[in-house]
Amino acid sequence: MRESRLMLLQYVTALLAVALVSIHLMMQGVILPYDTAISFNNMLSIYRNAVTAVFLEALLLVVLVHGFNGLRIILYELRQTKPWTTWVDVVTVAAVIGTVAYGTRTVILAAFGVVSA
Amino acid sequence: MTDVRLLVQRFDPFKDEEPRLVEYKVPKREGMTVLDAILYARDYVDHSIALRFSCRQASCGSCGMKINGRPRLACYTQVDELAGEKVVAQPMENFAIIRDLVTDLGSFFEKHAEVVPQLVRSDLQEQEHPTSEYVMKPEELTRVLQFTYCIKCGLCTSSCPTVATDSEFPGPQALAQAYRYTADVRDEGGDGRIAILDTPHGIWRCHFAGSCSYVCPKGVDPALGIQLLKRHVMSGHAPRKAGEGSPTAKAGIPAHGPGSGSSSGG
Amino acid sequence: MAKAAAKNKRGIAGWLNPYHYNAERWAYTFQRVTGVAVLLYVLGHLGDTSFFVGGPTGTGPSASSWAFIGTVFENTFGHTILVLLVLALVFHGVNGIRLVLSEFGLILRKPSAIEFPYKPKALASGQRALIYVGIATAVLSAIWTYLVLFEGMG
Ligand code: SF4
Ligand code: FES
Repeated sequence: MRESRLMLLQYVTALLAVALVSIHLMMQGVILPYDTAISFNNMLSIYRNAVTAVFLEALLLVVLVHGFNGLRIILYELRQTKPWTTWVDVVTVAAVIGTVAYGTRTVILAAFGVVSA
Repeated sequence: MTDVRLLVQRFDPFKDEEPRLVEYKVPKREGMTVLDAILYARDYVDHSIALRFSCRQASCGSCGMKINGRPRLACYTQVDELAGEKVVAQPMENFAIIRDLVTDLGSFFEKHAEVVPQLVRSDLQEQEHPTSEYVMKPEELTRVLQFTYCIKCGLCTSSCPTVATDSEFPGPQALAQAYRYTADVRDEGGDGRIAILDTPHGIWRCHFAGSCSYVCPKGVDPALGIQLLKRHVMSGHAPRKAGEGSPTAKAGIPAHGPGSGSSSGG
Repeated sequence: MAKAAAKNKRGIAGWLNPYHYNAERWAYTFQRVTGVAVLLYVLGHLGDTSFFVGGPTGTGPSASSWAFIGTVFENTFGHTILVLLVLALVFHGVNGIRLVLSEFGLILRKPSAIEFPYKPKALASGQRALIYVGIATAVLSAIWTYLVLFEGMG
């Protein structure tokens, strides 16, 4: 893939992340008092509302793609051997898939799982 | 008369384990440049100091070195303009040391050559045997003019944080020259250069730290050119407006028609 | 003969030590450091939020598991991390907007005929102003976060 495509991805996720993270910070400490925001009941209502749950999933995806693509850039600049570059590519893709999967599991279980005390 | 405390980094990779700073006392005179001071030390104190210089007037680009922590031209830096009471001269960073203040610029010139720093025409016949003069309007010249002032001193590349670790990165000098030719209305080689630069160790390894523009002694402003080239790559458009700058030969305008009085640029 | 001293490469010090250089170079260093720091936080945050559903082996929202992770992080240690996170995050975001706009060539001055002493257009005052806006926003946001977490505001 041409590097400019990956950089475009980096810039687009950057701008999306600025928007989504701002909303996330607002939700956690500005709109509601912090203690209320992180209370179990409030969190549950966020995960069980379709709009806010999808928001969290989008936040997850955007931030992790931006973060690991950024790490890839840094690692590329660190060493320039072919095996290193291949390793960085593989680890980047695996890391994005793995972490997004783990975060998505939290969102799905929180949205649909059985609530326990 | 006050003395200048001149510290020169001495190092012969064939003999020495580590570089060391050697102090020389140099009688100061008005307007003395760092190059003057080093030459005094070489001429009157220690003939074995190795350095490279030629024009003594910021034109040849051979006296680049690290002076008091920052890449500068020794001939274009006066002792008086440096803060502190010492003058510390070391070889430019990120270039291999040949001896003392002399660095190996081989890969630097290779990288310059790799970005095809010359006017390219899609019609090879036309390129080798132009049918007429290529005319530039003054504003078209202005767009590339400052980038043509590069003297290939290497200061910008020495200052670049990406060059510090990425040996395949072309560096600010080469990238700025890639822009200089790609933005030239007489050139048709932009796509070829972009194919070379839109790669994992190409133009996108620049993160606009701007140190290149900060240290450039000739007002080339490499960081400006590089960001403009990024825009060009991202947008897929030529850095000039559509329809502008068709060479006279192509447009069928007589070579000495209106506007041909402007310079053909460097 | 391939001594490191002869190679004369700055290495990672070139990323991390902007001393002797311009404000934009400092911003570059902070952008890189804050980026990695925020990524590390995000990875930790994936872990701590998963305790809402009982952690790695959980199956659904669990009030006790959530209360447990609260005892781990809702304290001075956890809140200090959050204040530092906001500082890093907001700087990275605001400075990042400057970089995106610049790299798209949107907020750059045009090349022109130059005079000496030349002031680089790439380092024009607008760039510097945006860096200062980034620092100011980050500090103010961090102070706000401190007030919310430590002084019970908000
Ligand atoms: S761009 Fe400036 S600093 Fe870089 S090589 Fe050319 S003249 Fe020297
Ligand atoms: S001696 Fe020619 S640039 Fe300094």
